[in-house]
Amino acid sequence: MAELKPTILVIEDEPPLQKFLRLTLGTQGYQVIEASTGEQGLRHAAMARPDLVVLDLGLPDIDGVEVTRRLREWTAIPIIVVSARGKEHDKVVALDAGADDYLTKPFGVGELLARVRVVLRHLAVANRETGEPVFERGSLRVDLARREVTLAGQPVHLTPNEFKLMAALIKNAGKVMTHRQLLREVWGPGSGDETHYLRVYMNQLRQKVETDPARPQHLMTETGVGYRLAAPD
Amino acid sequence: MAAAAANCHAPGGAENVALEMVSSRRDVAGYAWAVGAVATATAVGWLLSYGPRLPQGGVRPHLDNSNVLMLYLLGVLWIATRYSRGAAVVASLLGVAAFDFCFVPPYLTFSVADKKEIVTFVVMLLTALTISTLTHRARAHSEAARQAWERVETEFIRNTLLSGVSHELRTPLAAITGATSTLIEAGAQLPDASRAELLDTIYAEAERMDRLIGNLLEMTRLESGELRIAPDWVSLQELIGSALHRLERPLAARDVRIDVPDGLPLVRVDGVAIEQVIVNLIDNALQYTPAGTPIEIVVRRADGDGNAEGSVTLEVADRGPGLPPGAEHRVFEKFFRSHAAPRGARGRGIGLGLAICRAIVEAHGGRIVAENRSGGGAVFRLTLPQRGAPPVVDATG
Repeated sequence: MAELKPTILVIEDEPPLQKFLRLTLGTQGYQVIEASTGEQGLRHAAMARPDLVVLDLGLPDIDGVEVTRRLREWTAIPIIVVSARGKEHDKVVALDAGADDYLTKPFGVGELLARVRVVLRHLAVANRETGEPVFERGSLRVDLARREVTLAGQPVHLTPNEFKLMAALIKNAGKVMTHRQLLREVWGPGSGDETHYLRVYMNQLRQKVETDPARPQHLMTETGVGYRLAAPD
Repeated sequence: MAAAAANCHAPGGAENVALEMVSSRRDVAGYAWAVGAVATATAVGWLLSYGPRLPQGGVRPHLDNSNVLMLYLLGVLWIATRYSRGAAVVASLLGVAAFDFCFVPPYLTFSVADKKEIVTFVVMLLTALTISTLTHRARAHSEAARQAWERVETEFIRNTLLSGVSHELRTPLAAITGATSTLIEAGAQLPDASRAELLDTIYAEAERMDRLIGNLLEMTRLESGELRIAPDWVSLQELIGSALHRLERPLAARDVRIDVPDGLPLVRVDGVAIEQVIVNLIDNALQYTPAGTPIEIVVRRADGDGNAEGSVTLEVADRGPGLPPGAEHRVFEKFFRSHAAPRGARGRGIGLGLAICRAIVEAHGGRIVAENRSGGGAVFRLTLPQRGAPPVVDATG
């Protein structure tokens, strides 16, 4: 039996964007299902059981965040939300409500396909229930099992919290993580608003694992939203 | 004295007029001030005429009554310049009544011994009313002139906006339309390199339009007050890194030097807004300086002591042609664009980038200045006040 290509549900009300997403994703071999309202999207999601949802936050009928919440009531299917610049708050709400990543309009095809690949890869890893023990990108290498970090072959010493932060980002490599999500992973629940801890530790971590900490190549800032570890090579 | 002033209160008729004319809080204040002005004129007139005692039948006042009249007219004039016409009319009527009561024998009654005084009252009232009418008219004229000027100004700004925006949006659109139609009609015959070049043009011009529209939206949000500054403890170094990342492609051929002190504490600002300021300043340098010239970003912090608040300063400096003489302030005005811009690879904006910077910096209580550097080039320096010590984080764990 031929392997089925992943199915992507696109919930988008603007015809030009619909067309762009259909053509681009179709060219890459994905099966594309389309919905132009939130309600229609929720019905398609329940019936067609897609592998991924691309969801515009500005839908005519229901708020995209609400669509995310209602999907999360019954499924862990990956969701990539699409919204305009300057709407950082909406993105954070959608991400904290369970969306996996976001795209800022207008976005290029490279960005779109990179996000899609990353969330589908995480889905595959989650199904196998074993993460990849070694993260490699450029001259940075992190062995999670052995708790070893090297930069250009040189060992790097991380404090316990720095390592936890690094590990949380590696587990979600390529995906954005909100401040709240990272704070919970490293410092536990109840630390959702102490973002200054995160900033100080992130700065320290960059000093240790970035060649030029002022212009990071691995630990990327998503201002107003959170951080993203660039996807491995 | 107090008794005299209170006795000189408005006759009933004038109070009714006053009540009818009340239309706003300021009007009410105007009537109160009218009473106050008449009371003051009476008090001053009384002190100068009799000193601090009641007038005696045989004692001649020190001050001639015509001088006392002047005091009342001065009061009416003051009210007329500041408050409604109604308040000035009330001041005129009250003034005549108070004058009669306090300065015309028999004293402390409204009755008049010499019928010639009636003429004085009529002349005084007419003069007071004429003063209030003329003053009111002059004020109305100057107000109308001010509004007319504002209309002209608004109209001018709107026209500049419309023509500037239309032109700047049409330029990239023309390039996109041209390149797209070429690809549709002759795409098959074109060599691969030309096709790629046309596609690159479409992409770059669409990005430019996105930037222009982004700036327009940002300015609209700032001006309508929709964009609120939400300060948080953020890392300035991180914001610079993120701004440089956003401009990675246009910055590829540039030498960017970053000078941020080690261990710079967190600063309390709106991260998203300040990152936009940094992006706009770098973008401005990219637009107005020749390709290949360096761009420097310098951060300095001044700690506050007990009284003075601290501040953090960020500079974006270039080695371009510098600012034209007199443009140091004008560069931050909306739709101002220096003609010194070289026609370069990075398309020109609509003159909003720096205006947005200023609006954001001022919303933080800071200030932004531009000046020429010694050795050539321009420097844009923003200073943000910092109140309170940054949170202490034990980051050894």
